Amino acid sequence: MDDLFATVFDDLVDRAEERLALLAIIGPLLPGVRLAIVDRQGQVVGDLPETSPAILAPLLRRAQEGSALVSAENARGERRYAFCLEPPDTLVFSLPVSGGDISADPMQAQLCLNTFQLALARRGQNEALLESAQLHRQIEVLKKQHVHLIDDNHEQYLLLQKREKEYAKELEKEIARQTKELRAKNRELEAASRLKSEFLANMSHELRTPLNAIIGFSGLLIESELSAEQDDFVQTISKAADNLLVLINDILDLAKVESGKLDLASEPVDLAALARSVSAMLAAQAAARANNIRVHVDSALPPRVLGDEVRLRQILINLVGNALKFTEHGWVDIQLKKGEGGGDQVVFEVRDNGIGIAHHRLQAIFEKFTQADGSTTRQYGGTGLGLSICYQLVTLMGGQIVVESAVGTGSVFRCLIPLAGVKVEKATPLSAESAAGPVAAFKQAGSIAVLLVEDNLVNQKLARLLIQRQGCQVEVAADGLEALARLQDKKFHLILMDIHMPNMDGLEATRKIRLLEGLAAESMKYASLGGGTARIPIIGLTASASKEDEQNCYEAGMDGFLTKPINKEKFVETLNGYRQKRSA
Amino acid sequence: MPSAQTLVHKFNDLKTLPHVAIRVTQLVNSDAATMKDFEEIIKLDPILVIRLLKLVNSPYFGLVNRVESISKAVVYAGMKNLRNMVAVEALRNLFTEDDNQEFSRRQLWKHCATVAILARMIAERLFGLAGEDEFLAGIIHDIGLIIEDQLAAQELREVARLYRSGTEVITRYEDEIIETNHCKVGGLLVFNWNMPPEVVEAIKKHHDQDKVYPVPSITSILHIAEYIASRVNCGAVQGRQDPLPPYLTSHMKSRMTDYKVLIKDFPAEMAKAEELYREEA
Repeated sequence: MDDLFATVFDDLVDRAEERLALLAIIGPLLPGVRLAIVDRQGQVVGDLPETSPAILAPLLRRAQEGSALVSAENARGERRYAFCLEPPDTLVFSLPVSGGDISADPMQAQLCLNTFQLALARRGQNEALLESAQLHRQIEVLKKQHVHLIDDNHEQYLLLQKREKEYAKELEKEIARQTKELRAKNRELEAASRLKSEFLANMSHELRTPLNAIIGFSGLLIESELSAEQDDFVQTISKAADNLLVLINDILDLAKVESGKLDLASEPVDLAALARSVSAMLAAQAAARANNIRVHVDSALPPRVLGDEVRLRQILINLVGNALKFTEHGWVDIQLKKGEGGGDQVVFEVRDNGIGIAHHRLQAIFEKFTQADGSTTRQYGGTGLGLSICYQLVTLMGGQIVVESAVGTGSVFRCLIPLAGVKVEKATPLSAESAAGPVAAFKQAGSIAVLLVEDNLVNQKLARLLIQRQGCQVEVAADGLEALARLQDKKFHLILMDIHMPNMDGLEATRKIRLLEGLAAESMKYASLGGGTARIPIIGLTASASKEDEQNCYEAGMDGFLTKPINKEKFVETLNGYRQKRSA
Repeated sequence: MPSAQTLVHKFNDLKTLPHVAIRVTQLVNSDAATMKDFEEIIKLDPILVIRLLKLVNSPYFGLVNRVESISKAVVYAGMKNLRNMVAVEALRNLFTEDDNQEFSRRQLWKHCATVAILARMIAERLFGLAGEDEFLAGIIHDIGLIIEDQLAAQELREVARLYRSGTEVITRYEDEIIETNHCKVGGLLVFNWNMPPEVVEAIKKHHDQDKVYPVPSITSILHIAEYIASRVNCGAVQGRQDPLPPYLTSHMKSRMTDYKVLIKDFPAEMAKAEELYREEA
């Protein structure tokens, strides 16, 4: 028995049982054997007759000294053998055979010990079996743990998946929340931007009215008798006012585009004529800086395309004007050709050999109030709005504008704009009257009576002067009501009607006039609406130049539409148009 | 004199189980805990990290490749091993050196470790159980004695003296002098820590000599382990051993050879544990 085991199980071990178990094994091997187990306290378990303590004590001592078989003789000459079974237990036994001392003969002693060892080994076998069973249990535990680990693993996988899903959901929620916030912010910003644009549009309108007076009167002043110095002053005022008008128009245009109020017309446009007229218009400006404008129109282009001529012209003027500004002793090419991508793309290319733009400035060039270099503003003037307007207009037309440039070599601005060709019916060139000039034809026409309906005193004065200079009679009414009264009293041939007026505005007055014209009996009361005769032409005059205003004018029954500040040439042209119609 | 409840309250005011131990126990009880959560907590304590890596790289796990990453080690060890490891670390600090002849905390720690290892061995080898809860029960079963030592040191020494010279179970003397006993106190404390109910039960009943508990159960295994420990001179209080309840005596007799095999391997297991939990420099 092991020491440790003995310590632990001393109280539990039943040596009688152990002896019986041992006897069961050894009995068949050594028939007639009798045995006893003696523990460390000298307790004897088993039957050993005729063995006095006097014999047993030295026998046990000798046995516990080593592993050898020892023996002693009792009083009857019988031998008692002993050996250390499993420390601290000692086995004492007797054999039925009488005769010599087995322990004295090494061979026999060994044989005897071996027999007992065999018996013990058989018992040990049992131990080994149990040990193996324990190992098996441990293996089973490990197997279970292994399965558990795999289950755990799966569970963990599911848990993580769930967490991830929850996280994704959270994320989604957060994104949705932020998106909502951003959208709201965006709406706010859009509203603010729209308000700003509307404010700009209103401001422009308010600015144009006084400018109308400045431009108009300085124009008239130039035509009067002036000293050289005075003439120079007035020229300066006139030029400055013109520049201011361009700037205000630009701002208004931008504001209109940005507030979505710019409507594009779709009418046949002669591209070649357009390019030539722009070239002609800017020829003087080119000459001033010793530049040469050249025009190339690709013959493959349709002669006419559907588009907004005014805006296309504006784009070209801006681009060419810009090119001229930054070029000296050089050339500016206007090239119109078909887009390479096929379809209806038309390329408007404006190329110069001017100072060019540094690469890093190219990005910003289409932004508002930006020039390639802050210093260029001082050197070359301009507001920096021109290119921005071009960009906005081209974009509005569904096209794109690109720029290539190299410092010292020049720049190329290229607009690609989708413009569908017009099926040619008869290739009538646009009337040449603009080239001939409207003023020339006018003197021959007869005089007419014009009713000017305008509340603003300055505008009254200006328009009156312009009309009188054309050799026409003019009378002024301050609002719609007064106009109706005048029409009753006198025969007028043309009405120039302001829109915004107190008491009765221009639109209402026009509607009233058209209504009266329709009623034969009523119209007889009006000298100007003489019953049944052709209806009296009414031309709107307004500082608010939106498409919507124009539409309103026509709907009210007007026949034409002029914007303020009054462009002298256009004014005269329109006036003459009606004059000629009348005399025809 | 105080009730078990008062002692536990007072003790909690003095010393609390480290945050790590509480969190880990919570996680083991939680259905939604992932090994990632365990990793996050174990990482906070360098000693635990060293233990953990030692544990998974020990022959017990028999891994071919050395595990160096905490996350991997956490997965290999499993939740209950982690819980036990943390409990051992947390409790060891309570068994501070405070020796005297009557009652030695160091001796008590050795006793608890021995009982824990034996309980796990018995569960695994004789009954084919995982043995993790049995180990935990072994480690914490005498925590009540620590509380008493903390709050009623003089009385506890008197109890130890009486016990050594007397014949009754130790709890009888505690009830007499401290008016409560370490089984009640320990059971209450461990209950508050959210330990598994079977473990709490075993702690409450580990000196119960009169009742018969199923074999195997954590309570009966704890009894056997306690008996063997006291036989190898690793009792809670040295100098006396409590007898084994009769039903367990007959159980042990019936599986004597099994226990013999187990005892043979015990020193090696003990050495392994000592190596694993050796105080780091």
